[in-house]
Amino acid sequence: MQKQYRLLYDENLCIGCQACSIACRVENSVPDEVYRVQVHMQTMGIFPNLGMHYERLSCVMCENPPCVSVCPTNASFQSKDGLVHIDEKSCISCKYCILACPYHARFINPLKNVVEKCTFCYETRVSKELSPACVSICPTDALTFGDMRQSNSLVYQKSHKEVLLFPKAHLGTKPKVAFIPNRKGAKS
Amino acid sequence: MNHMAGSLEQYNTVVWHWPIAVYLFLAGLSAGAIISAIIIKWMKGNDVSPWDGIIKAGAILAPITIGAGLFLLIFDLTRPLHFWKLLIHYNFGSVMTLGVLALFAYFPVVILFFLGVFKKELIENGPFKFLAPFADMALTYAKAIESVTLILAVGVGAYTGFLLSAMNSYPLLNTPILPALFLASGVSAGISANLVVGLLFFKNSTGESNVSYMHGLDVKVIFAELFFLFILFVGMMYQGGSSAHVASAALSSGGLSTLLWVGVIGLGLMLPIGLNFALPHGVKHSHGFVIFNALIVLIGVLALRYYILYAGQTFVG
Repeated sequence: MQKQYRLLYDENLCIGCQACSIACRVENSVPDEVYRVQVHMQTMGIFPNLGMHYERLSCVMCENPPCVSVCPTNASFQSKDGLVHIDEKSCISCKYCILACPYHARFINPLKNVVEKCTFCYETRVSKELSPACVSICPTDALTFGDMRQSNSLVYQKSHKEVLLFPKAHLGTKPKVAFIPNRKGAKS
Repeated sequence: MNHMAGSLEQYNTVVWHWPIAVYLFLAGLSAGAIISAIIIKWMKGNDVSPWDGIIKAGAILAPITIGAGLFLLIFDLTRPLHFWKLLIHYNFGSVMTLGVLALFAYFPVVILFFLGVFKKELIENGPFKFLAPFADMALTYAKAIESVTLILAVGVGAYTGFLLSAMNSYPLLNTPILPALFLASGVSAGISANLVVGLLFFKNSTGESNVSYMHGLDVKVIFAELFFLFILFVGMMYQGGSSAHVASAALSSGGLSTLLWVGVIGLGLMLPIGLNFALPHGVKHSHGFVIFNALIVLIGVLALRYYILYAGQTFVG
């Protein structure tokens, strides 16, 4: 059955604890010096009116993925569920996809010498009806994952209630990761 | 920025390094060398053996430079031994695949051209008698093969530009003029390399009129290059937004902008033009000057490839 996955990242609920990053590392055996997901924090404003700004950096699973269109060997491909994956066997590691990705989500795994990125934990979790490791560990429920085709799903309901921001939407990549932007705190 | 999140290195680095810049240079040079050799060969009186030195230079340079470039490219891969997968998997939407296909056809035809030109040295008086049928084919169907070669050479010269311009998150690379700029500078590099090799190694067979024709053509191509560079930056300024920011950063900050102004524009484009206007006729047509001029043009073209690749990845708005 075809899915329409979406992952919501609520900047208002994130506390920058990095549990998602650690859960990802454990789940996917990501080597120390590289990251499939990072949450960047920035203190904004002028004392005493300070606020924190959080930003999630990871693969956003584009509907129109630049990494797939540039890949010369089809090693970067889109599954029928619309998720972008990498076939390690046909990857020649030319790094064209790393360069083409506007989200800087891809890297060379220094242990395996192949290109890697976030997979939404498809193999180990999502294909078994579990949510990705980062979503399941998040202590504040800042992350919501699900199928947009199911109108009773939390991700569907939240998507229709909140204002969503799709990262670098002007590039026409149509990300499946959406941000619920910060409503409070100091403005830049 | 709080670095509790970890290293930011992954998000800010140049992904393609200098070997790619050198490959872009060599691919352009190879295409330019064969294009200019064929132009000379098609001119009156040059279409029969003994070949002009510039034709010989092009016949040698085109296969050697593209071969060296591809060698460099393969060893720049993180897993060089997996490069053959590029030859069995195709994605016709990828510029890299289209480039591989163009090179697949280009490499054999430039080698055919080489065999045709050096038939006497290699086959009649040399050890490669078994290659005679190929050399004969190159000579019998010269016009047809050379026409195809010319088209493929334009493809190879321009594809390196499309390779970079296909990425829409890099304002300096994602410009329509880049393939034209790369093709023009590749032709300029090819002409210059042919002049250097022709005058140094085939001095007796290099015709004076062909040298001045090539040299004159080079100056015209340099004007085109300057105009393309002007279009590139002015166009980005007019686009506004992040493109305009990237253009002004790329023109004014750091060592890369120095490379552009001193290496690419100063040494590679303005100095050849200036010298060609300032120097008296006698000096301008001396072999020493032509070789000097060709060498600074070559340095300029290499600097251009390096600048575009690095500045394109560095200044992203």
